[in-house]
Amino acid sequence: MSTIKDITTLEDWSQHLSSLPPTTLLVISFHAPWAAPCAQMATVLSTLASEYPVTEPLSTSWVAIDAEELSDVSETYNVTAVPFLVLVRDGKVLETVSGSSAVKVRDAIESHAKGASAGAAPTVNGNGATAAVDTKEFDTVEDPEKKKEELFKRLGDLVKAAPVMLFMKGTPSEPKCGFSRQLVAILRENAVKYGFFNILADDEVRQGLKEYADWPTYPQLWVDGELVGGLDIVKEELANDSDFLKSYSVKADVVAAS
Amino acid sequence: MAESSITESSIKAALEERLKAIHVEVQDMSGGCGQAFTTLIVSLEFAGKNSLKRHRLVNAALKEEIAQIHAWTAKCQTPEEYQKEQAATGGNDGPSFEGTSGGKVDGVQQ
Repeated sequence: MSTIKDITTLEDWSQHLSSLPPTTLLVISFHAPWAAPCAQMATVLSTLASEYPVTEPLSTSWVAIDAEELSDVSETYNVTAVPFLVLVRDGKVLETVSGSSAVKVRDAIESHAKGASAGAAPTVNGNGATAAVDTKEFDTVEDPEKKKEELFKRLGDLVKAAPVMLFMKGTPSEPKCGFSRQLVAILRENAVKYGFFNILADDEVRQGLKEYADWPTYPQLWVDGELVGGLDIVKEELANDSDFLKSYSVKADVVAAS
Repeated sequence: MAESSITESSIKAALEERLKAIHVEVQDMSGGCGQAFTTLIVSLEFAGKNSLKRHRLVNAALKEEIAQIHAWTAKCQTPEEYQKEQAATGGNDGPSFEGTSGGKVDGVQQ
């Protein structure tokens, strides 16, 4: 599975660029540490990246750049707002996505990744939700009402970042709570393909999602943008129907070894 | 870990009153700190509701309490379901202790 490489110097940047074969889809994420939507975008992207196996020759390469630190690179790609995504292949810009719509980002990456001649396409399909046009760029809004609206909009995208999304304490490889650990185990036993978000790493999402979902606890499992519930409910659903989540299982798809 | 004022009996009372629960079993899994509970709730109010709706009903009834505690597990059954499971398990239908060590949640400090 691919991971996102942080590029911090211009030398690293030019070296990375020159090392890429012409068929590789380069996913460049521009971020700023002070902009909250960037933290969510980082999660959406690392979830996406993990679905793409590291292949030979390289089918996708994922990098993250601090837009202010490496302002020269930002200028090259006309980055005026963050988060900002640029998709490049063979030195040509294929598409850019401005703003924090997880659905738009996923769609853009998936459609261009399929264009690659080498490497496996991702096995997860984006859901059919239409993405709202995201014109909000910098998160400079002070008004609390608007801030909440923004947060809810981001959450709306985040719960759709993958067809099955797990909001948990910790990560699947290092759960920080017994219930999260159990839910991860259940998903693994059922070979379910899912994206995850560590709510311990983002307090805004942690509190905001409780309100958005009207659900007081974690872990939370969301499927196709809707809340299924916590550990209890997932266990009950499975007890009632062993085919629950079957359509999200990896066994159903062609899997490339990572 | 801080103690809360929530106890097995306070939860039981709240459920009986707010959800007309006819049978409630509550177990404090945090070693008496009132921080982690597993419950079995039997109420007619659950009839005709799916899992999520039942849990939402419980969440609404125990909103204040759940907001204060660290871990919450609930098994929501209608009287009919309770009877069935009692029969099936030989009278052993109870709150879920999965994931606990001897009825205590791992990692809960005393």
